[in-house]
Amino acid sequence: MKKTDFVENTGVEVLAEDGCKKRPPKDNPWKNSRLIIGTIILGILIIIAFVGQLFWDKTLVNVGSSPLNLPPVGNEYRDQIGNWAHPLGTDNSGRDILALVLVGLPHSLGIGFVSATIGLTIGIIFGFSAGYLGGRVDDVIRLLSDTTMNIPALLILIIIQSLIPNAGFFAMALLLAVFAWQSPTRVLRAQVLSMKHADYVKLAQLSGSPDQEIMFKEMMPNLMPFLISQLTAGTSYSVLILVGVEVLGLGSQKIPSLGITLNNAINASAILRGMWWWWGIPTIILIVVFMCLLLITVGLDEVSNPRLRDH
Amino acid sequence: MPEKDVILHVEDLKMHFPIKRGVIQRTVGYVHAVDGITFDIYRGETLGLVGESGCGKTTAGRTILQLYKPTAGQIVFEGKDLVKLKNEEMRQIRRKIQMIFQDPYASLNPRMTVEEIISEPLLVHNIENGKEIHDHVRSLLELVGLNPAYVDRYPHEFSGGQRQRIGVARSLALKPDLIVCDEPISALDVSIQAQVVNLLEDLQKEFGLTYLFIAHDLSMVRHISTRVIVMYLGVFVEMADRKTLYENPMHPYSIALLSAVPIPDPKVEEKRKRIILEGDVPSPINPPSGCRFRTRCPLAQAICAEERPEWKEVEPGHYVACHFWYNTKSLQRR
Repeated sequence: MKKTDFVENTGVEVLAEDGCKKRPPKDNPWKNSRLIIGTIILGILIIIAFVGQLFWDKTLVNVGSSPLNLPPVGNEYRDQIGNWAHPLGTDNSGRDILALVLVGLPHSLGIGFVSATIGLTIGIIFGFSAGYLGGRVDDVIRLLSDTTMNIPALLILIIIQSLIPNAGFFAMALLLAVFAWQSPTRVLRAQVLSMKHADYVKLAQLSGSPDQEIMFKEMMPNLMPFLISQLTAGTSYSVLILVGVEVLGLGSQKIPSLGITLNNAINASAILRGMWWWWGIPTIILIVVFMCLLLITVGLDEVSNPRLRDH
Repeated sequence: MPEKDVILHVEDLKMHFPIKRGVIQRTVGYVHAVDGITFDIYRGETLGLVGESGCGKTTAGRTILQLYKPTAGQIVFEGKDLVKLKNEEMRQIRRKIQMIFQDPYASLNPRMTVEEIISEPLLVHNIENGKEIHDHVRSLLELVGLNPAYVDRYPHEFSGGQRQRIGVARSLALKPDLIVCDEPISALDVSIQAQVVNLLEDLQKEFGLTYLFIAHDLSMVRHISTRVIVMYLGVFVEMADRKTLYENPMHPYSIALLSAVPIPDPKVEEKRKRIILEGDVPSPINPPSGCRFRTRCPLAQAICAEERPEWKEVEPGHYVACHFWYNTKSLQRR
């Protein structure tokens, strides 16, 4: 705040010489190093995946499209030397690892993002209704979210996946969304509950603003960092469950994804056979993705909660 | 006052908040925040409402504005009982009753610009179009002594006094008849308090506004009010016009309260008698029987515990709720 620009005692304040709307840059909470690093690395990964798909032959994900058991460039494995035709090597059925990664990463992230978006949308509707309307609506929503939250998602998904083994992209996203709405619902309910008593919300009520306008015009902009951080946290959670299900061999085998690749590697004893690139590369990419999502979530939490910021 | 035109009539208003405990949220008791208050506000006056923290002043103000659903009682404005109104009718009435909040830091939405904040009531009631609203907001800012060039700024760029001016501008946007000022100055620096109070007085003269001025600062209430009500633990103990109340208070609580106001004259200050009340304000969950003030009253007798004192008009326009109102002269400082 630039208090010096105003003359409080004259009654009529004069305008600062340098005009309006300039704030000291160091106070900008969005310039958060964690948030920036996480976003940049994740952005680079996603751009590589999409641009890579344009330049790399996607049919190389098919079985038998490449030589078997080829190591990455510059490595030697059982008399085979890695070459630039398959820079990240191939697996034991002749699938190109680079192609698998390029196709698999956006696929896994995409399912996670769509399911988190569905979960967040449900969370916004439920959280706002529960927090703002209260009463019976609140009781029902709270009971529903608290009980379903304690059911282990992986267990249920294992059962469902064994019944419908080849769920497509949106079917999978919907299934995951069943477990992704509870956390945003709870977080938003708590925020709305405390914000409901803010004077500016009371003021809006006094002016006769309708409920939906108070929720979406007065409250929602104040909750923006919470919403985005719930979205990234939800994406991370959904991807984790998705990979878990796939590693167990229960994902759809039609679309190659990072989890399926890991499952194939485990089934083929890739670790014992020393084919580190087969399981190692997808694992590293997953770790980097989770790290980025975590950094973004933590960064956004710091944006929305000044007490978490370090100075 | 020449012509007494009642703008708002409150009849036996009660606001009890339930206290809920346990898993099934059983109601185990009530906070008797406001427990049967009756009064009128006359058009064009400033009615001061004083009392110590937790006595129910703010709750009374907020209940009148229907921010809480009252437990019992009537609030009559323009011949309509606000308690019974449906939402749409209430929305129309809201144009005529506005409120200024205590904390100028909490009452402005941090994500909205000054223009958005002030124009919101205009948009909600859909009474002006874009250009008119834009000009109206600027004229309102000028009216409250802020530079109209500030319309695009956010609340955090202003000081407390300036924020309160924005709050005043917003409350004036719909040209209300009655403004409930809920401790509008207690969060401000003393130097700024006078400015805001003077602004409120100027606006009252210009637009013929009526204020319900809730405060705990007795000198400020004396400065601004036409009539003053003293409140204690959810009930009114005394109501009179300003001069009478400050010079000839009759309720022991009013006398004690006024004796605590310092007088800026060392000679008078030295001689005068101060009444120190013993104990704390009892809990509004379990208020004392009979007279609420009896636990701390220097004049309390057996009857005070048995009967609730009548709200009696002892002089024209001077109401007191005390069994021994005729006997309180001994407590007064002169």
